[in-house]
Amino acid sequence: MTSRIAKFPGVELGSKEFYEGKVTQVRSRPDARYEFSAGEAISRFLEELQKGKLIARTCKGCDRILFPPRMFCEECYRPTDEWRYIRDTGTIETFSISYLDQDAKRITDPILVGVVSLDGASPKMGMMHYFGEMTKDEIQIGMKVKAVWKPAEERKGSVLDIRYFRPLREGEA
Amino acid sequence: MTFLERTTDSKRLRHVGVDMSVDYIYTSGIAGETFFTALRDEGRILAVHCPVCKVNQLPPRMFCERCFTELKEFVDVPPEGRVATLTVSRVDRRGRPLPAPEVYAFVTFKGIQEGGLIHRLLVVPERAKVGLAVRPQLKPREARTGTILDIEGFVPVASQP
Repeated sequence: MTSRIAKFPGVELGSKEFYEGKVTQVRSRPDARYEFSAGEAISRFLEELQKGKLIARTCKGCDRILFPPRMFCEECYRPTDEWRYIRDTGTIETFSISYLDQDAKRITDPILVGVVSLDGASPKMGMMHYFGEMTKDEIQIGMKVKAVWKPAEERKGSVLDIRYFRPLREGEA
Repeated sequence: MTFLERTTDSKRLRHVGVDMSVDYIYTSGIAGETFFTALRDEGRILAVHCPVCKVNQLPPRMFCERCFTELKEFVDVPPEGRVATLTVSRVDRRGRPLPAPEVYAFVTFKGIQEGGLIHRLLVVPERAKVGLAVRPQLKPREARTGTILDIEGFVPVASQP
């Protein structure tokens, strides 16, 4: 139907009209501010990150160690049981070589980002993060990595308290 | 930990603050463009005439909502109007107390059978009465931008110098 209409009636407006004041207009910006609660488990997780530690929750129902921690086991439908610290080393499960930055701007030096499963948590449980001290040609699935933390005074209870994960060096546990 | 043992003190939990940046540009539309351009450039207030219903409508719109006729015939609004209804506001848009109360009025015009204008009534609340004869007070030409704020408000006709 619409394919038979070559030109729709009306006035087409583009950014020229909007930004050069060619048409009368009213501008507005709603004061839309939100505070998202991190919840019980993630709040503790963020507090521990600030201390330079990674924490998980255990579930006695399925004998898993859940990371990131959650207060409810999605497999057993029951509350989880205990807090358990895990290590800051792990394995690359999957990764991307990104030529777009956080604002979707094109970049020449790619960002390495992916999922690390962490040692001490149940298999395949981990977090998404950046990878550093390796090139796009060196990164591979199965690579052993270790967290590089920000200095304690710069940490503020965010996943970015870890700068990135670097390759695990020989002799390191 | 059971659900009942969970915290109910949300301040104890971490929060992530977000300030949504959503910017809007509302254009006036076809009839609105004529209205605001005439207001800005010539200081005129225009209504629109429906030749089928014989009704003048304010603010102007592109179609008559009674008979769906396309409206193209603009007419000038008389220089004086009357306060049809009013409200006295003591708080601003965010609910904060205003230093002095502000009056807002719906002003209708003789010969304009449908509609009118809502704007500031620039008088103290004691003087604000339904039926008060008022005229628009415009900003100077160089300060006008083609929005409804090109009208500063309505003032009583009696106060005309």
